[in-house]
This record gives sequence, C-alpha cells and structure tokens, in this order.
Amino acid sequence: MKGSRVRVEVVAKWFDDFQALKDVSLDIKKGEFFSILGPSGCGKTTLLRIIAGFEDPSAGLVSLDDQNVVPLPPNKRPLNTVFQNYALFPHLTVFDNVAFPLQLRRENPKVIETQVRKYLAMVHLNGHEEKKPGQLSGGMKQRVAIARALISEPKVLLLDEPLSALDAKLRQSLLMDLDFIHDAIGITFIYVTHDQSEALSVSDRVAVMNEGVVLQVGTPYQIYEQPANPFVARFIGENNLLEGVILSKNGFCYTIDTDGLGALKVTSESRLWEPGQRVLHTIRPEKISITKTKPGGLSKDYNLLPGRTFESIYSGFQSKFFVHPEANEKMQLKVFKQHESFLERGPDISWDEEVFLSWDADDGYIVEAIPQ
Amino acid sequence: MKGRAGVLYTLPLMLWSCIFFIIPIIIVFIYSFLAKGLYGGVVWQFSLKAFSALFSWSFFRVSLVTLLIAVLSTILTLLIALPVSYYLARTKNNTLLLALVVIPFWVNLLLRVYAWIAILGREGFLNHLMTFLGYRGEPVQFLFNFWAVVIVHVYTYLPYMILPLYSNIEKFDFGLLEAARDLGATHMGSLVRVMLPNIKGGIVTAILFAFIPTMGSYAIPDLVGSTNSHMLGNSIAYNIRTANNWPLASAISLVLTLISALGIMIYFFLNRKPARHKVREAP
Amino acid sequence: MIKKPHALSRRIYWLTVVFLFLPLAVLMLYSFNASRSFKFSGFSIKWYYSLFSRWIAPEKIAAVFPELGARELAQIVERSKNIWTAVRNSFAIAFATGLVSTVIGALGAIGLSWYRFSYKKFLQGVSFVPLLLPEIITGVSLLIFFSSILRLKLSLITVLIGHISFCLPFVLLIIIARLEEFDYSIIEAARDLGARERDILFRIILPISAPGILAGFVGALTLSLEDFVVTVFVQGANSPTLPVFIHSLIKRGVPPEINALSVFLILFTVVLILSIRNFIKYIGK
Repeated sequence: MKGSRVRVEVVAKWFDDFQALKDVSLDIKKGEFFSILGPSGCGKTTLLRIIAGFEDPSAGLVSLDDQNVVPLPPNKRPLNTVFQNYALFPHLTVFDNVAFPLQLRRENPKVIETQVRKYLAMVHLNGHEEKKPGQLSGGMKQRVAIARALISEPKVLLLDEPLSALDAKLRQSLLMDLDFIHDAIGITFIYVTHDQSEALSVSDRVAVMNEGVVLQVGTPYQIYEQPANPFVARFIGENNLLEGVILSKNGFCYTIDTDGLGALKVTSESRLWEPGQRVLHTIRPEKISITKTKPGGLSKDYNLLPGRTFESIYSGFQSKFFVHPEANEKMQLKVFKQHESFLERGPDISWDEEVFLSWDADDGYIVEAIPQ
Repeated sequence: MKGRAGVLYTLPLMLWSCIFFIIPIIIVFIYSFLAKGLYGGVVWQFSLKAFSALFSWSFFRVSLVTLLIAVLSTILTLLIALPVSYYLARTKNNTLLLALVVIPFWVNLLLRVYAWIAILGREGFLNHLMTFLGYRGEPVQFLFNFWAVVIVHVYTYLPYMILPLYSNIEKFDFGLLEAARDLGATHMGSLVRVMLPNIKGGIVTAILFAFIPTMGSYAIPDLVGSTNSHMLGNSIAYNIRTANNWPLASAISLVLTLISALGIMIYFFLNRKPARHKVREAP
Repeated sequence: MIKKPHALSRRIYWLTVVFLFLPLAVLMLYSFNASRSFKFSGFSIKWYYSLFSRWIAPEKIAAVFPELGARELAQIVERSKNIWTAVRNSFAIAFATGLVSTVIGALGAIGLSWYRFSYKKFLQGVSFVPLLLPEIITGVSLLIFFSSILRLKLSLITVLIGHISFCLPFVLLIIIARLEEFDYSIIEAARDLGARERDILFRIILPISAPGILAGFVGALTLSLEDFVVTVFVQGANSPTLPVFIHSLIKRGVPPEINALSVFLILFTVVLILSIRNFIKYIGK
C-alpha cells in the first residue's frame, strides 16, 4: 500500500468565539476511501483544511503514519488537495498546471513530459495540454486539478467537495472515475461532501459530522442501516421516526407500544434495551410494502397498519406515498414503492385510497433510548 | 496565510505611509498650536493664535464661499451626471460613449482650466461668438468671478461623478422599473422611487468624489476666480507663501482634513452593510 | 405609439459631451490661429514653429515671424527651451514615480489581499485615506515636513517623494482590484503542491497580477504628469514640471504656444490611454 494512515486526535478549532470543531478524533486506514459527510457549516471543510495544513488546530494532533504533521506547512506535507472551485492557475496551460509540482522540484523535463502525459491520460484529458483553464468545462477543470494533485505521488489525496459545482450527470461519471483512480493507485482518499449519495456510493467508510462533532463513523451500510443517533437517522436517506415504550422482549425481538400506532415489532441486534424503556425507532420508507388489499400469509414478526394515502408523488422509477395510519389520523408515514414489472406491480394506488402498510420486524431499527 | 510573508510584503508601504503621510499630518497638527516665525516656520512656543484667527470675519467669509462653491458645483454636477450615467448604463455597446466622457478627464487639469480662460475671458471665444451672432455691446468679462469657479469645477468633476454612478446604475435591475410602471408608477416616478433608492451607494460615492476635492480646491479659484471667490485652498497657499504664517496654514489644513474625514465617515455610515447572521465554515 | 427610449437622457448625454469637448476644441482652434489674440484671424501653424523653435534654425523662425525683432525672437527660443525642459522634468518624475510606487504598491497589494498580519487593519486605513484627502493637504504637510523637520532642500527629489505619496494609494487600489478577481485557493493550491513563498511570488502572483501592475504603473504615470497642486508646494526654485510651468505662463499672460502644446498633450494622452488599454486587455487574457 502506498497510502498513509491518517490520525486525527481530539482536534478542536476556534474562530474567535466560534467553535468549529469539538474534540474530533478519526483513524483513517492506509489506502482507505474515507468520506466526511455533513451539512454545510458542520466543520468538515475546516477539518480537511487542518489535515492539509491551511489551518492550525486550536488543540489536538494530526498524524501521518505516526508522525505529527501539525508543525509542518502545507508544502512539506505528503498530501495534496483537490479544491471545490478547482483552483487552477489561470495563467498556465493544462500541461503547465499539471507539471507545476514537478517543475518546482526541478525534475528533468523529459520525466515531467512523460509523467504529465501519464496523469492526463488517467483523467482522460490527452490532447488538451495546450489549453488554458478558461477554455475548459467545469468537469475538465476538475480533472486537471485531480491530475495536478496526484502527479507528485502524495500519500493522501484530500478532496474538498470536488463535484459540487458540476451538474448531476457529470458528477456521477467523475465520481466513478475517482473510484477507479483510487483503486488503481491505492493511496488514501479523504473526501469531504454534503451529498450523501456520493459518500455512500464510493466510500469504504464514512464519518457523519454535525456542529463540529463526529456523530458516527462506519461503513456506508452501517451508516444507513444502523444510524447511531437521531441526527444520522434523519440526515441519511429518508426515514420514519417513531417513539414508544418497550412492552416486551423476546431474544432480539422487541414489542414497542408506539405513540399513536400501538404495538409494533422491532428486532435489534442489541439486547441492552429493557421493557419499560422509552426508545426512538425507525422504519425506512422503501422497506414498507404498500398494497390495496390486505396481504395474506404474514409471519408473526410482521407489522400491519391500515391507513389512507393523502399524497402520492410519481417520480419515474418509484412512487412516494404519504399515508395517514388509521390508528392516528394526525400522523403520517412515508412509503416508497419501486416500479417493478407490470405483473408484480399490482393495481395502481393513488391519492385518498385505503391501503395496507406492512413490514418485517427485522427492518425496524431501535436508534436510542430517550431519557424520561 | 500565516507567517511573516505578509509583513515583508507590506513593510515598504507601511514605512512610506508612516513617514510621508502620518508623520507630516501629525506635524501639521502640532504646528497649528505653535507661534508664527518671523520669516516662515514656527517658534516652538504654545499658542492658540492660529485658531483664534479662524474665528475672524474674513476666515468665516472664505469658509462660506468655499462651502457655497462646493455645494453648488456638486449639485450641478450631480444633476448632469445622473442622466448621463443613466443613458450610458442603458445603452448597449457603450465603449465609445464611455470613452467620450473619460477622455477629457485625462487631459491635463491646467490645460483644461486654461481652455476655460480662453473661452470666458473678455477677449475670449464666447465674446467673439456673441459679436459674431450680433451682440454690439461692451465685451463682457465672464472670468474671475464666483460663477466661473463653479463652472470650471463642474467641468472638472463631471467624469469623477459619472464613472461611479455609471458602474452603480449598470448593476441595477431595470426590470424593476417595468414592474413599477406595471403597478401604476409614471416613468419619472419609477426612476425616482425605485431606481434612486437602489443606487444610493453610487450617488454617495459620486458626491464624495466631487465634494471633497472641491472643498480643497486651489488651482481653479487661483486661475479663474477673484479675491471674492477665493477658497480655503487659496488661504492655505497665501499663508504659506506670502504671509509666512505657517501655524495658520496648518490650522486651516486641519479644518479641511476634519471636513474630509467627516465626509468619509458619512460615506461609511451610509454605505455600511446591514449586519447579517454569519455562518462560518472556514474563513 | 413607439417612443424613442431614453430620449431625454440621450439629449443630456450629447449636450454634456459637447460641454466636455468644447474647451479642447477651442484650444485646437486657437493653436492654428494666425494672430496671438483669441479672435480667429486666419489659419497658420506658426505657433507650432514657435513651440519647437529651440530645434529650428533662427533664420527660419525669423521668416515665420517677420514682424518680430531679434530680442523678441530670442525670447521665443528661450520659452521653447523652458517648455521642453519642463516636459523633460515631468516625464523623468513621472517614470520614477511610476516605478517606485508600482513596486511598493504591488508588494503592498499582494500583502493586503492575500496575507494576514498584525497591523493589517491599520495599514488598510492609513494607505487609503490620502485618496480622499484634498491634494493641498498632502502638499502642505509634505512641505512643512521637508523644510522644517528633514531640512531637505526643495528640488526634483522632494517633488518625486510627493508624487509617489499621492500615487501609492491609487496604484494599490488598481492592483488590489486585479488580485480580487482571483480566488485565494490558488495560493493555497500552490502551497499545497509544494511551492515555497518565493515560488508563489514568481510563478503565481506576479504573472497573474501583471496586467494590474502595468495598469497601476500607467495610472501613476498619468497622475504624476497631471499633478499641479502637490508639485507647486514641494518644488525647488529652478526646475518646474510642465503643469507648474504652464501655470506660470498663464499667470504671465498666455503665450499662444500653449495652444499648440495642448494639442500635442491631448493627442499624446489619447494615444497613450488607448494603446495601454488594448495592451492590458491583451496580456490580461
């Protein structure tokens, strides 16, 4: 592995009287594609700038392979950054932009030439060497920036919302290219974004941040399926959040007297919850099945709720339904239904129809206990 | 960025500003409290004579004339500059139109003043033109009076006003005028009630660009004015060169500086941004 | 009904242009006047002869001005010499002012726009205030400073210091405006990619700010050529700049060579401005 292990240890950052980071700790493995995900203003960019060396931490330590890098200026750190707004040098051609780090080191011009061509090929930009940044599209500019950041063979690549200025289609293809490049060269990538689909689709692990605090670190699967707290449960994907008191416990299966909905079954991999505890639990909209007729043959660990749709939104590959459960007309549940083949689709469901919602207890998830 | 580079880059500027701007201004301040030397210069002795001279009738008169000339020429300039800038902002391909306004601004001030002497003088262009058009009376002296000073100031500071006004009006969304007319405003009404409030910043800048230099004007009243239209600048020059009264010249300079500072403060007060809630990701 | 758009403001615009150009046109007209008065009495280029008389053979001058005696002809040549000396003084001062204020101003602009340091706020205030002070304050305060504190003999050197002082804020403003077109992240990118302070200055900052630096230089040049008020206070006895010399000529009663000289200066400024503008646009690409 050519990458570095990056460790951030209890880093805090103050701007005057505003605390941007509160005791952040991360342990990023060699060669990992690691994303830092959070809403704007959560401190993720500040954290990245501290790792890059553009900002000093007010407290704490940043180390690369067990060497503390806080005293080192950015030009002495073996990591490079891809900026949100590309930060290409406007007066230099594509070739000279990419060659910049090597020219600083006074490399042999022949070496520079072959290296530049190699890295331009990696980002599919051969033939554009003599253009100025002003003549390139946004996607091309970011490709140049990536090649420029990689050419000096850093141990870590920092990416600060590199795709946020691009349109959706371009974002997708550049993201896949980044994934390929990561696999090909094997260095550590630290990717900062506010876009969860970017973070979930390519990362080995994701850290979710809010208000200067790391709330959860885990694989995309863990972040999505097992959110560690209400913020993550709400922020990642869409969710139905429910509260209730645990009635009974049977191994891993809990029955919860959910506010307004009555008894619902939820399995949890944790056995720590006890009857009488008030808990927050969730069910993802796409895991609820919605039918016009009462589904038959359900196992005993299924939940079934009759209700009435009050809004349906068709969006091509799926439909979204908003349902008032019969048990409590004031509540609403979100349900997503994939459009499968016609035969399996069943009769169309539209606005103001009686429906049945059902889901397996396994798909429910207990997030946390609510103090009473 | 952190580090000492910023200090290195700005050190020469800092030194120059301190030595050749701050220190001289402080000296002017000190001099105004000293006694006058016999042949120029000062006697190092505390004296309020210079300031008491500021309360004389003649100084009051000069200040009043200066203020009157400055206010009058600023208003006249603004009245011309507003429609001109508006026209420039609403015209496409206005490079040439803009150049026509800017070129006279680059011609040497002394030459422009001299040209007005050639036009307004008793033997000048205007009198010859009047004779040519059938005027048979005595030649008229248009020069060396209050109005000659005002006209030349208007002429000189027109471009100073047009440029900031133009760049401000250009950013104005003219769709708002159509919206105002759609809601029932007259053409003039929409300009006054919708455009003017939105270009307030540009108007304040333009007024400042014309008013402050006019308050401190020296060459123009010296060349086209008379003793009745002498301004503060002429008083300073007179006390420096002819009367050898450096403390008084310093005191008048101080008054001028305070007036300018007041103007700058009003400017920042009117142009201040409303405080907004700041969300900070990174500085 | 179709109304011509902005009919009123258009009329005012063109009247203003006439107002602005009338004095310049009058100067041009009189430069070709056969008599020395402001009454036009026939076309002649004799004032151009008189303007350049220091380089023209005396017989030729005498032929152009048959009505003048030897003493008056000698005066014409003397005046021509003085005018061109003043022109030379002005340009020497202007170039020196341009060079010094561009170097100090460019460094200062780089520091002020892209770096943080302790006295930044103070410097921002101090370096822009002279922009808004009347020129006469600069002139008087420098005169008092030179003559009573430094005890410098007033000369072209003191004029140069005065010119640099009032040009610096303008140069600073122009270059900062250019630097503001660029995002600070390119400096961070350069540093991130391994550049040292020196590399950043020579490989990034200077190349991208070149058009601004050039514009600042030209701005300082024209401001210096233009200045009368500061110069008149800090000048020495025997080396006037052109505006000061013109002022003394006007005070003494307007010799008609000034008209001819004006035409040259007007043409010179127009050509200078236009060519520099195009050049700056060209390298700014």
